[in-house]
Amino acid sequence: MSFNLNGQSHDIPPDWADEPLLFLLREHFALTGAKFGCGVGICGACTIIIDGLPARACITRAGDVDGLSVRTIEGLAERDALHPVQQAWLDFGVPQCGYCQAGQIMAAVALLVQVPDLSDDDIDVAMDGNLCRCGTYPRIRAAIMSAAERV
Amino acid sequence: MRRRTFLAAAAGGLVALIGAGVGVWSQVPVIPKRPNPDAETALGWIAHRDERFTLSLPRAEMGQNIATALKQIACTELGAEWNTVDVVLHATDMPRVKATVGSESVMLFAEPLAQACAALRDALAAGQVAGQVRVTPRPMAALRALRAGGLIGASPEITQGRGIVTGAPLYAADMRLPGMLFGRVLRAPASVEVPSGPLRWNLDAARAIPGFVAVIEDCGPPIGQAQGLGVVAARPGALDAIAEALGVHWSIAGPHPRSDIARVIDVDARLSTGTLPHAVLDGAPDDGPWDVDLRVDVPMAAHGPIEPRAALASWQDSALRVWAGAQDAFYVRDFLADAFGLSGEAVSVQSCRIGGAFGGKTICTVEAEAAALTLATGSPVKVQWTRAQEYALGFHRPPSSHRIRARVAQGRITDWDHAQMSSHILFTAAVVPSWMQRGTDIFAGDGGVARGMVAPYVLGRARAAYDMVRLPVHAGPWRGLGAGPNALAIESAIDEAARVAGVDPLAFRLAHVADPLLTAVLERVGEIAAWGRPLASVEGLRLGRGVGCGTYKVTSHAAAVADVSVDSRGRVRVTRLWCVHDCGLVINPDQVRAQCEGNLIWSLGMVLTDDLPTAAGHVTAQSFADAPIPRMTDVPAIIVDLIQSDRPPQGAGETAIVAGPGAIANAIRAATGQRLVRFPVRTEDLAT
Repeated sequence: MSFNLNGQSHDIPPDWADEPLLFLLREHFALTGAKFGCGVGICGACTIIIDGLPARACITRAGDVDGLSVRTIEGLAERDALHPVQQAWLDFGVPQCGYCQAGQIMAAVALLVQVPDLSDDDIDVAMDGNLCRCGTYPRIRAAIMSAAERV
Repeated sequence: MRRRTFLAAAAGGLVALIGAGVGVWSQVPVIPKRPNPDAETALGWIAHRDERFTLSLPRAEMGQNIATALKQIACTELGAEWNTVDVVLHATDMPRVKATVGSESVMLFAEPLAQACAALRDALAAGQVAGQVRVTPRPMAALRALRAGGLIGASPEITQGRGIVTGAPLYAADMRLPGMLFGRVLRAPASVEVPSGPLRWNLDAARAIPGFVAVIEDCGPPIGQAQGLGVVAARPGALDAIAEALGVHWSIAGPHPRSDIARVIDVDARLSTGTLPHAVLDGAPDDGPWDVDLRVDVPMAAHGPIEPRAALASWQDSALRVWAGAQDAFYVRDFLADAFGLSGEAVSVQSCRIGGAFGGKTICTVEAEAAALTLATGSPVKVQWTRAQEYALGFHRPPSSHRIRARVAQGRITDWDHAQMSSHILFTAAVVPSWMQRGTDIFAGDGGVARGMVAPYVLGRARAAYDMVRLPVHAGPWRGLGAGPNALAIESAIDEAARVAGVDPLAFRLAHVADPLLTAVLERVGEIAAWGRPLASVEGLRLGRGVGCGTYKVTSHAAAVADVSVDSRGRVRVTRLWCVHDCGLVINPDQVRAQCEGNLIWSLGMVLTDDLPTAAGHVTAQSFADAPIPRMTDVPAIIVDLIQSDRPPQGAGETAIVAGPGAIANAIRAATGQRLVRFPVRTEDLAT
């Protein structure tokens, strides 16, 4: 079993095939950007992109990405050049505690690919499943709108 | 005032008793020490080497972005370029700093840090390049960092922001060590305040699960009275399967005598047995009928940080090392040393960025679990609580029940009576052992429950008093402590009093406010929200506007206006929020605004969502589906206006939560005619 992780091919060790993809990423590949928040796909802190679509890594079986392409937040920036969504997050001072933000950013990146010409409603629909307890939602909205003009 | 003096004396007496009581050693709790910082201590926070400065952040970083604000102060006072100052989160190898609580980080730490940086700057200018620097405190006016200008009042890119948006390892659960295992401590599905522990379990079934490493019976101190059973695995995903396979049978010495939480918290039932013992306002209202007489109930609520608490522990060369996301790393160290019979020097705790705390990560729990499993296995062990463990084993905002009354004559409140029944917030079971609880309950009260009970108004003959009852579920500090629920009850009653008086609610508040700083934020929020302008009507919706205001810890002030719409099925949408905030000199306006926005969304949660379900004395919530928090679609555009002030900086992390809930509840009243008295709102209360 193997998959494409941020542009590179990697094997999925048999021991890890039945683990949630989230733990394969975090504990085997040391990509700790995606976070454990609830374990049942409700909060969105573990959001990653599988073959272009946002997915919850905590309820995806690692072995099920065999042959697929997985993008995590660690794969967004090209060397020191941040992705426009990452830059917008900094420009709007979005993160408070920051724990949910990798999931928020990945959901936003996937949204901008799917719906380049965004409305506020598009953002609400796409982002409503990504929870933030600090209350950064208004800034997330503003940052996505701004990034949409730069992507 | 007399009560406060007495409180201190009583606390001192109890401390002396602990020291003398050799026979009670094993019951003596490790109590968080709370020294205020001074300039001498602050020298340990800032160092210079090879043309660069290192700021060892004396606070926990949990999203208030205090690392950025304190770096602004350090750079300004040092006269250093932004990119020459490195910020590191502290470990317990530096002198003790108090817990990161109470919105104190700028208020208490800005000046000592500035004094230390000024001394270091002068020493460098005098040619000193090594050794210690002496601080001679200078007048505030001589400090560059405590007046607006340059970086003070600017909003640079937040410290660790780049790490957050690129997924760098910043949080306790992101830490890794070679040979690391993954642990969990299982506990009984019961009240944490009745003794419980594992009776028997199916070890063979657990062994058959791939990744199983060990079951550990000696798995550290209880949480409350819940003894656990430790599980260790090679991969984190195996823990769920092992827990299920074990099928642990528990001994549970229940039920808890106060399992019916709603009944024991009922303020009217309590009042029927006599007056409440802890007075915060001791006026004597006249007898006679009341014009406003509300019973307001606010339920238990979880903090709900997206990060379930986590810790990584290792044991090597007789030293215990722990990476933690806790609000008081020093308390965690002291607790671990006590729990495992180690010297303080043998334990070190490294602070990690915290993924949301809000008062809930002030105790030592998951760190002790990781330490115990490390000591038992000899391997580094990482433990991160499940979401269900966060609810079951953490502590929560206690429920509170308020009877609040007012009498009005000639447009003014002449008499006021606020009675509150709640549970402990500061003197909780986590810090006060059971043998000591009776003493604190009788003599000391609980300043957390009392917080915000003194309404910021001139109310004539005013009485306010409270009592507490210990619950089967742990309660404790939650953003604003008692101030949020108290302000919600008070602002609801003030609004009803304005209606009785026939006076506009904003004008009515202004007529009763004595503090000119509160007057200023109220007047300003009226201006920016165009208060008094009629609302446009929308077909099929009931629209309303409300105002609320308050003062947090005497020195910070906020006022808010909310617009809401309510449909025929009783569904509420908050459509706009305005807030004006005065916390003295603002170091970083963008991040103070962020705190206001967060508090307003918490305000929205207090009215619309926050409720932690319990049954038979324990929390039944398993996921965010059972204890919802505000979502993107719940949140309107928010406009925050900061008062420009040259007062010394005050707290900003909990202030707006005294203004927002009242504004929203009052807007719903204006829209529907219904005074909400049970929170969170239920659609059936507002359906037509």
